[in-house]
Amino acid sequence: MIGNIREYEFETDVLIVGGGLAGNNAALGALEKNVKVIVADKGTLERCGATAGGVDHFMAYLNTGPWDTREAYLSYVAKIARGAVDLKVQDAVFCKELEAALERMEKIGCTLKQSDGKYLRTQSLGQPGPYFINFNGKNLKPALAKEARRLGVFALERCMMTDLLYDGERVIGAVGFNIRTGDFYIVKAKATILATGCTTRLFHNPTGLPFNTWQCPQNTGAAQVMAYKVGAKLANMEYMRITVVPKGFSAAGLNALMGMGGRLINAYGEEFMAKYHPMGNKAPRSMLVYAVMKEIQMGNGPIYIDCTHLSEADLNHLKRTLGYDKDTLPDFLEQKGVDLSKEPLEVMYSEGMQAGPSEVCGSGIMIDERTSSSIEGLFACGDCTDQMRCVHLCTTGGYLSGKVAAEYAKNYSHPIRVDKKEIQRLKEAIYRPLWVTGNLDHKTVENVIRRVMWEYAGPVRNEKSLNLAIDKLQSLKEEAQALKAKDFHELMRVHETNQLIDIGTIMCHASLERKETRFGIFHFRSDYPETKEEFEGEIVIFQKDGKVVKEFKKLSYDKIP
Amino acid sequence: MPPNIDMDRCSGCGMCDKICPLDVIHFDSEKNMPIVKYADECWHCGSCRLECPMGAIKIFFPVEMLY
Ligand SMILES: Cc1cc2nc3c(=O)[nH]c(=O)nc-3n(C[C@H](O)[C@H](O)[C@H](O)COP(=O)(O)OP(=O)(O)OC[C@H]3O[C@@H](n4cnc5c(N)ncnc54)[C@H](O)[C@@H]3O)c2cc1C
Repeated sequence: MIGNIREYEFETDVLIVGGGLAGNNAALGALEKNVKVIVADKGTLERCGATAGGVDHFMAYLNTGPWDTREAYLSYVAKIARGAVDLKVQDAVFCKELEAALERMEKIGCTLKQSDGKYLRTQSLGQPGPYFINFNGKNLKPALAKEARRLGVFALERCMMTDLLYDGERVIGAVGFNIRTGDFYIVKAKATILATGCTTRLFHNPTGLPFNTWQCPQNTGAAQVMAYKVGAKLANMEYMRITVVPKGFSAAGLNALMGMGGRLINAYGEEFMAKYHPMGNKAPRSMLVYAVMKEIQMGNGPIYIDCTHLSEADLNHLKRTLGYDKDTLPDFLEQKGVDLSKEPLEVMYSEGMQAGPSEVCGSGIMIDERTSSSIEGLFACGDCTDQMRCVHLCTTGGYLSGKVAAEYAKNYSHPIRVDKKEIQRLKEAIYRPLWVTGNLDHKTVENVIRRVMWEYAGPVRNEKSLNLAIDKLQSLKEEAQALKAKDFHELMRVHETNQLIDIGTIMCHASLERKETRFGIFHFRSDYPETKEEFEGEIVIFQKDGKVVKEFKKLSYDKIP
Repeated sequence: MPPNIDMDRCSGCGMCDKICPLDVIHFDSEKNMPIVKYADECWHCGSCRLECPMGAIKIFFPVEMLY
């Protein structure tokens, strides 16, 4: 049967897996160095990934005051992401790239300025000043795609990559399949960049609709799993990120509401944030989530964001901004019958995901100042890395990754030797769910994964619950052998289900190692409820000779680099 | 379930199929019309609506989300 599958082989200088915000910026960085670039994505370049329906803010310092400098920004980063963020890497993947990134946004036709030619900046989430530049990001992804096409990118679209090609010393490309036609793709590459985002659909969703996610539901941790399988180091994997969302709709938009002056209130109309953090409603996200959960737990829910006190001009700006962030959020409010100027909006905590614990750092493949992973030939950028997330870092760091990988490819001097037997083995494993007899479907298994993760490895975890989760996921992994796919679209979903099991397991192992609590409920150990200085660093996890290995990377915050 | 395509307005260009980041909309070339094939996998991102040249797409949220 597998003989009927058409096979295509490509060779390139740089292969980028994931053409979202980071991957697309990486493509620009590499293409500008005049190398051959292939971008593979499950969607189409113009509207794939988290930014498909828009984004509304870009974090930046602009040197307008003492709070607005590189040093002040890095101090803020050290404060809100302490223990997870490496300042040397942050300096390299953000500060050194920022000026060029701001210029590039103008050049590609997605200005960060308002119609009056000025930046509009707001402050929220623990910032010392208004670091968020509000802008209309509805057109960001198509504008980036247009530039990549102009520079000659080769896009492998509707394509899911499943495994890296590894010759024992270095990564030399990847394999995958077309989710519509089923065609098998072998891509040989001198340099490979992974950029498939964070992991969604991994924790119970309050609406019961697994695709109603805050971040893009197409992202199921492919990069992290592929890298882990070849022995690359992952870091910050223990953190489960949650946000506050309008009740029922897991959308972005919190920054916009809080940045414009929204106030969190409980069922009694009381503003409660000051009880939890000195910055009140402008506290870091992890504290907002913690406080909302706590108030509900104490019987003070439902919880609302109140914007009724805002001026008409501010409300108008806010409504526009919400629509920039996710095109359909204003429709949701309308269909729910909420008018922000007249009544408070009921909010709720969202589902969890494997993602960085703050706006300034990530969770996933450990990268250095040049976005290199711990495996030769393998680079990573965006939300799938331990040091990037959000628009500002995916834009700056993504571009840097493309430049670095292109330079690596130019200096590459080894023959790319692909083992035919290994390719055949990977191919058989990819298509196996089509021929399996049995009727276990991926939706059933995924629902179990989500329940296990939320109940045992979610907002409350301890040694016993984490070990139980690992056992249950191990059993599910065996059950998943019988997962059946009816067509190539389902084949993609089956592979995603397997990735979720792997990511869940890695998260539990990393969580076991962090014997403390950090970032509120993002890593809350009921058996170790205190935050400890000795844990100021990253839990690094990787696979060696089939065994899970864990290390600790101590981070220093004594001085700004 | 979202998205809702008004077939009186649809010109059959297939843009919604091409653009959907989640492979939810498929274009049926025999019937010359788009089909919302995996409605329960819609992310409500609005990409199809943003790109539809005929303004034929509306997004309706399921009841689970509105209560
Ligand atoms: C609605 C929304 C609004 C947001 N607003 C803001 C904002 O205003 N400011 C801000 O700073 N941040 C914002 N964020 C966060 C920010 O957009 C993300 O952090 C960022 O876009 C992540 O970029 P990325 O490239 O890592 O991932 P993505 O852009 O999600 O790209 C990942 C890509 O990988 C592809 N992929 C996944 N698996 C595979 C595979 N196996 N093979 C091939 N391709 C694969 C996916 O299809 C996807 O296109 C927002 C996020 C959302 C969802």
